[in-house]
Amino acid sequence: MNRREFLKCQATGLLWMLAGGSGILLPKRIMAGPVPDLAVVKGSPAAATRAAVELLGGMKQFVKPGNRVVIKPNMSFPSPPERASNTHPEVVRVIAAMCKEAGADRILVLDHTLAPEELCMENSGIREACKPISEKMVFTPSDESLYKTKKIPKGKVMTSTDIMKEVLKSDVLIAAPVAKSHSSAGVSLSMKGMMGLIYNRRVMHWRFDLHTSIVDLCTVLKADLTVIDGTRVLSTNGPRGPGKVLNKNTVIASKDMVAADAYAVSAFEWYGKRFKPGQVRHIREAHERGLGRMDVENLTIRAIDL
Amino acid sequence: MITFRRAVQIFSLILFLLLLGLAVSSTDTPAPLDLFLLLDPVLVAFTAISARILAIAFIPAFLVLLVTLFFGRVFCGYMCPMGTTLDGGDKLFGTQGKKRPQTGKLSLLKYIVLFFLLGASVLGVSFVFVAAPLSLITRFYGLLVHPVLAFFSNETLVLIQPLAEWFGIDTLVFMRINTPRFATQLFVLAFFIALFVLARVSPRFWCRNLCPSGALMALVSRKPLIRRFVSDDCTECGKCAHSCPMAAIITDDPHITLHEECIVCRTCQNTCPENAISFNSVKAESTYEKKGVSLTRRQFIYSGLAGAATATVGLTGLNSVYGKPGPGQVAPQGLIRPPGALPEMDFLAQCVRCGECMAACPTNTLQPIWLDAGFMGLFSPALNLRRSYCSPECNMCGEVCPTDAIRRLSLNERMWAKTGTAVIFRRKCLAWEQQKSCMVCDEVCPYKAVEFIKEPGNRVPVPQVHEEKCAGCGYCEHFCPVQNQSAIVVTPMGAIRMSEGSYVAEGTNQGLNLSIRPKSAYDTQPEGKVWGKGFAPGFEDDNSGGD
Repeated sequence: MNRREFLKCQATGLLWMLAGGSGILLPKRIMAGPVPDLAVVKGSPAAATRAAVELLGGMKQFVKPGNRVVIKPNMSFPSPPERASNTHPEVVRVIAAMCKEAGADRILVLDHTLAPEELCMENSGIREACKPISEKMVFTPSDESLYKTKKIPKGKVMTSTDIMKEVLKSDVLIAAPVAKSHSSAGVSLSMKGMMGLIYNRRVMHWRFDLHTSIVDLCTVLKADLTVIDGTRVLSTNGPRGPGKVLNKNTVIASKDMVAADAYAVSAFEWYGKRFKPGQVRHIREAHERGLGRMDVENLTIRAIDL
Repeated sequence: MITFRRAVQIFSLILFLLLLGLAVSSTDTPAPLDLFLLLDPVLVAFTAISARILAIAFIPAFLVLLVTLFFGRVFCGYMCPMGTTLDGGDKLFGTQGKKRPQTGKLSLLKYIVLFFLLGASVLGVSFVFVAAPLSLITRFYGLLVHPVLAFFSNETLVLIQPLAEWFGIDTLVFMRINTPRFATQLFVLAFFIALFVLARVSPRFWCRNLCPSGALMALVSRKPLIRRFVSDDCTECGKCAHSCPMAAIITDDPHITLHEECIVCRTCQNTCPENAISFNSVKAESTYEKKGVSLTRRQFIYSGLAGAATATVGLTGLNSVYGKPGPGQVAPQGLIRPPGALPEMDFLAQCVRCGECMAACPTNTLQPIWLDAGFMGLFSPALNLRRSYCSPECNMCGEVCPTDAIRRLSLNERMWAKTGTAVIFRRKCLAWEQQKSCMVCDEVCPYKAVEFIKEPGNRVPVPQVHEEKCAGCGYCEHFCPVQNQSAIVVTPMGAIRMSEGSYVAEGTNQGLNLSIRPKSAYDTQPEGKVWGKGFAPGFEDDNSGGD
């Protein structure tokens, strides 16, 4: 790449960022056509996120005025965005902003972190990024009094679990995971990410089959909208890293958690190899149990590059 | 009416609690968090003797003794948080105004305690923790009152949550206060209940009859420069003697003061209907001076010998690591000392069991122990890594330790202060034994000392500890999802215990390779470890034919 190309690239990026940021130019152009099952947008974190949600018909498809919204990013580790173990703060910010634009009454960004809470909110950059929208919206509930037992009627192995009260009270649940590998679950995407909304996730490791219990959990914590942050992909050594980070500048959005996860598995390299969605057992089981579709080849996909 | 003395007492107690509070909240502050502990003459003097050290930090206690020499036991009457707390207890539980039995010769007990502790410390054994007032009171507030308060505050937050939601105060909705939990709090509780009950026998029962620091100060305050003086206006009504909390005035002849018992509270002065009492520098030898009862020389010697004998019994206990480490030393299994703790014998000699380190420990892993390390190790701090991990980026315990039993280390040195080594119990491990896909120990290890390998016959990768990378921080033990005893446990093996020198140098020398993910290297996109030929943990082999 020579300098001219570089500058051109930067200028285009900037334009799109402005367009995306303003949210005025974009919808008109890309709203045309039927709403796809999957939206895949390449671009900067903020612009790509906005465009991906707009491709699905915009946030008003998911959030009605007065709704209570919970956004579930990954912010379980005290590492900065470039390490790709947490969701990019810009992705979270844009989702939250779009919820607000759609008239949401209460927007919370919640995760039950593994590492010390303060460090996670600080180092992930997510709390800071969300400040312009609301001073107080990012929280890391860890005390059991903030959780409530919930039955899982469709659970195969896990039939009940304690879920954050705020999540149970919410109208809309948005999964906003980063795309990363996971040493136990293969990948940690929207479905695995739901483990960050419950009190006791250890039990899913030691008592239950991890993959099956993830699917069980997702029968009650089914995200209304999934936005996978593939702007950076932690391709090896997830979930904590450090591992190989692929700069993919991609955001995947869908109404279907399983489809979004399945697309992310097939779209990126993991440990230097290509995998089919069915090679991740919780995705395969979710598909078999009718939670969503992993046969991405049969789904309508709209992919654009910004 | 609040007297001048009450005001000073309350201010002093608040200052003490404030410093403790700063330690508890892990605040990075230049304030001397251990100031009050260093004011305790017995705590400091006997630590100096038992550990054979002299430090600049010990000056405050000697200043207290110096002040006592000239002004009497003002420390007891005005500054000691223990004294103030007991005064408070007396207000609550005591029997003011009623006639109380004279305790008379009981006040000699404190000298026995003093010389008992001295006898032990001469042999290098520190027993100050059973009686030094500042050690006890710090434990009372740090390990007993603090968790109870935290518990109640948290319950209150839970209680008012609906209200907070109603008003939309999200900060309050989500705010929770972690309740620290401590072992041995039953001892502290029982001890202080006993002290408060004894307040019914006499006010300041502890200070009069048991406190070794009081005894030491009594020894130097037999004739202070400023002392109680009774003029000829005295009608010998005896009101002053009755009101004296320390029984320092002879009832039969209120002219006579036992100056070594007087804490200069001036209650007598305020009580006297004739205004016959003053506190002055007494130039002429008063005719009314009288020597208080004191121990005989034989009693002094016997109590010293008793202390020495007890110390010897302690030193010959099975778990006592007396002498150089070697075969036959039965060091307590699983006893992990905090990072930077001195070699065990020095550590026990120097540690005053004040509990400051435990109260300050932000993860609450640091716990007082019962008899795990013999009775010489009673109430000394040890890591309970199942409770929580010991953060490699925290040096709080060393920062607050008043006697440097835990060394004050820079963060880089602390990172190398290896406390032990993790060992995997394969029969409990989900991956090894049950072939369940679990890599939690690897996920959480800040030193990247756990590696997962493919083992023939096992469909999931299994963990292995790289001893040279492990610092014994206990993240793995804490987070291991196996119930009850963790499948990966930190043992004291390989812990570095040094009284001086650099942990980095020593660790490097031993071939250790300790590093936590350096912050500066975040943007270099470090590559992960290389898995064997295309091995991707958590993924399944593609044998489905792609349906």
